[in-house]
Amino acid sequence: MSIPFKLDIELHVNGIEYPVTIDAGRNLVSVIRTEIGLTGTKEGCDDCECGACMVLLDGQPVNSCSYLAAQAQGRTIVTIEGVMHGADLRPLQRNLLEAGGVQCGFCTPGMIISATALLARNPSPTDEEIRIGLSGNLCRCTGYVKIVEAVARTAAG
Amino acid sequence: MTVATPRRFVRADGPDKVTGSGRYTADLTFTGMLAAKFRYAEIAHGRITRLDTTAAQAISGVFAVITDADVPDVRFGPFVADRTLFARDVVRFEGEIVAAVAASTPEIAARAAAAIIVEYEPLPLVTDLEDALTAGASLVHEHWAVYGSADPVVRDRNDASFSSITTGDVDAGMAAADLVIESRFVADGCHAVPIEPRAVVAQWEGNKVTIWTSTQVPFDARAGVCETLEMPASRVRIIVPHLGGGFGGKCGFHYEAHVAALARVAKRPVRLVFSRREEFLAPDRRREGMVIDIRTGVRHDGTITARTGWMAMDNGAYTADAGFFPQLAAMHIAGPYKIPNVSVEAHLVYTNHQPSGSVRAPTAPQACWALESHTDEVAAAVGMDPVAFRKLNAVDTGDVGPSGQTYGEIGVQQCITEATRLVGYGETPLPHDEAIGVAIGWWPSFAVPSGAYIKLDGDGSGQIITGAQECGTGAVMTLRQLAADELGMNPEDFELVYQDTSVAPYDMGATGSQTLFNNGRAVVAAAGQIAEQLRNLAAEFFEASAADIVLADGGAYVAGSPVATVSIAELAGIAASGELLIGHGSGTPPATPQLVGSSCVGDLGMAAFVAPQFSCHAVRIRLDRDTGVVRVLEVAAAHDSGTIINELGALGQVEGGVMMGIGQALTEGTVYDDEGRQRNAGLLEYKLQTCADSPVIRTHFVQIVTPDAGPRGAKGLAEAPNVATAAAIANAIAKLVGTPVRRLPMTPERVWEALQS
Ligand code: FES
Ligand code: FES
Repeated sequence: MSIPFKLDIELHVNGIEYPVTIDAGRNLVSVIRTEIGLTGTKEGCDDCECGACMVLLDGQPVNSCSYLAAQAQGRTIVTIEGVMHGADLRPLQRNLLEAGGVQCGFCTPGMIISATALLARNPSPTDEEIRIGLSGNLCRCTGYVKIVEAVARTAAG
Repeated sequence: MTVATPRRFVRADGPDKVTGSGRYTADLTFTGMLAAKFRYAEIAHGRITRLDTTAAQAISGVFAVITDADVPDVRFGPFVADRTLFARDVVRFEGEIVAAVAASTPEIAARAAAAIIVEYEPLPLVTDLEDALTAGASLVHEHWAVYGSADPVVRDRNDASFSSITTGDVDAGMAAADLVIESRFVADGCHAVPIEPRAVVAQWEGNKVTIWTSTQVPFDARAGVCETLEMPASRVRIIVPHLGGGFGGKCGFHYEAHVAALARVAKRPVRLVFSRREEFLAPDRRREGMVIDIRTGVRHDGTITARTGWMAMDNGAYTADAGFFPQLAAMHIAGPYKIPNVSVEAHLVYTNHQPSGSVRAPTAPQACWALESHTDEVAAAVGMDPVAFRKLNAVDTGDVGPSGQTYGEIGVQQCITEATRLVGYGETPLPHDEAIGVAIGWWPSFAVPSGAYIKLDGDGSGQIITGAQECGTGAVMTLRQLAADELGMNPEDFELVYQDTSVAPYDMGATGSQTLFNNGRAVVAAAGQIAEQLRNLAAEFFEASAADIVLADGGAYVAGSPVATVSIAELAGIAASGELLIGHGSGTPPATPQLVGSSCVGDLGMAAFVAPQFSCHAVRIRLDRDTGVVRVLEVAAAHDSGTIINELGALGQVEGGVMMGIGQALTEGTVYDDEGRQRNAGLLEYKLQTCADSPVIRTHFVQIVTPDAGPRGAKGLAEAPNVATAAAIANAIAKLVGTPVRRLPMTPERVWEALQS
């Protein structure tokens, strides 16, 4: 049996510095959900296939299930809990609700992270660009139609 | 009666879901909580010759290791009592649970589960559906005959449930035909794949247990715990936090009792969270594989004279809720057609595969795919356009269907007209690599008892306390609108209290598309009681007759004098110091329709469709002839699901169902190795449709205010959109390939092979 190698690291999540002691092999999603206590980031597969665990790392969307927590040290992490501006929903969040792009909601945090990154790099995407941009996030409920609509509405302002 | 314009509103649980603040079961933690892991059989059939947990128990951090020896001696199952919580003597599929561990961390629990010693004597594998039904076949359950079963279930050795529907005289009907067309189809099993893997947390206080679980059916889960752990319902409380989808996969009673039993031994709260791989391998809910033979007699003028069908369905190792599948599947092979002479029989066959169970419209997508592919073959044989052929033979208002049911006002003909119009069927010539396929489908509504309470507090705000379960569809969210409309209030005036078996009255759960259909009636009845109380209060206030009081816009007034109103809040304030505003309801389920002239063996009530729903899907695809790759470009879906109450929710159901249907058509199918084990138990190998694959989806609702149905003439909806999509895609592919692809899913390899033949 191998003795887990412990690390003391600091993670910068949603503007707050969190010192944590973790096994070296821990993935980012489990540290965010357990040590840091933010459960909005979901785990759907542990295989880098579903996108439910997406967070922004220095502004880039990454699947946090397939990312070592230790590698995120010194970088800026934004989770779904860090997306809001104060008490108000962002237009993307509101549009998702009004367009009907949320059903069970399990894919939603990852979808919002993914779409936020997409809109940051391409503020006026075509529908096709939205569809390709969100293709790393599986949704089993909606058939994607209303999610694409919500992102397009957000881009249109 | 005219149909009111359906509403579009933001779902009440939406803000929780877009902010990450909503809690799902795996998000819950409790002081002292342990992690659970299961030890699975990993082989598909074998006799346990040694089971030793000593080494696992000795690992530091392990609090409990339990097996069959540690739980009451109970065999359970809703149709056939063929299952135990833990394997007893024999394991019958790879995902069968042999032992369970609770330890301080998931890693220690996993290590302990691996340290359990299990040895097996291999037993012969049963995996082929037709072989399993032969006289000399090895048995999956040696002692099948002594198991208890529900009365109408007809079974024999590996045939766990047999059903047939017979109407008229098929021999005479075939003799009267000009042509008899025969087809065979084989569908692979597939999975529900909700994006949330299931999770269960159990915590004991004294002799009572509270279980938080990702179930679609909290009351059913409670019943399972009570039965297997031998406890009264009053001491078991099931709470469902937000549920991350289900599609039937989270119906039934799953691991609640295992986790509760672990927590009792460990004397700690215990949490189980499934990996995606476990989600694929272990639950007794996946869509069953099928072998389907269909024969249809037809006259040159296109009239169908007779149909016979034979089906074998993969039950897997245990029967779960699949007992009623044969009769339902038989209805889908008979189809929504006027056929005077029908004989269809269906067998639910034990194998050493994962058990099957209700996944979104169980049996329908595969059976509809086979029937509607066959229907295009029959139409071609008599030289008719497939749409014209369907219009000629499909049932309409007042017609008698294949099981002897006479339909009231139904909209299947309108569905065909609308779907083909929306996709532009036959209008403009298509490029040589494109084609449009059309299919029709049907699905029953399920009429069952269901309950709700409503209370209005002193400030006039309301709570709907319902047994109904929300699994994403929005059906529970829509209950607010029904209550508000009864009381002249706004949906936002109500909060929902739901998914807690100790708080709310019974409901069957998020299954059978029944939430709005049944619980909607319960909520309307409960709101009606409060409306009566409010009218009496207002009558006193205005010194008028209660019969003249109108409730509207958040207040009450005397009919004809809408300027003088008293607000609901003020009336609620008056009630707070007198008789409190409390309503309860359980709406009476509509009666089951009569069948005339048919007979059914193994009758589990599925041959009569209460408030039947109809659909037509028309799909335009593009085929790459070099690779066999099919791309779905456009789907038109027309549905008769009665009155639509929440348009946004209804559209979401159709779009999600269509997308799932595309997956079933093209990519989703379980592949087995020679040892009866799944080879593609992960999202890398089992491909779901992504956003990049999504076609244009156009939806039309043929709204018929249906009597003897749900509130305001609504029928069910959530499952129906999953019925006809794969079939429509198949018919488009067959047009381009020149022959049907007779295996589901119609993967590029299979399409390419069909192109070569
Ligand atoms: S959990 Fe990370 S991609 Fe699925
Ligand atoms: S809303 Fe359920 S998975 Fe997307």
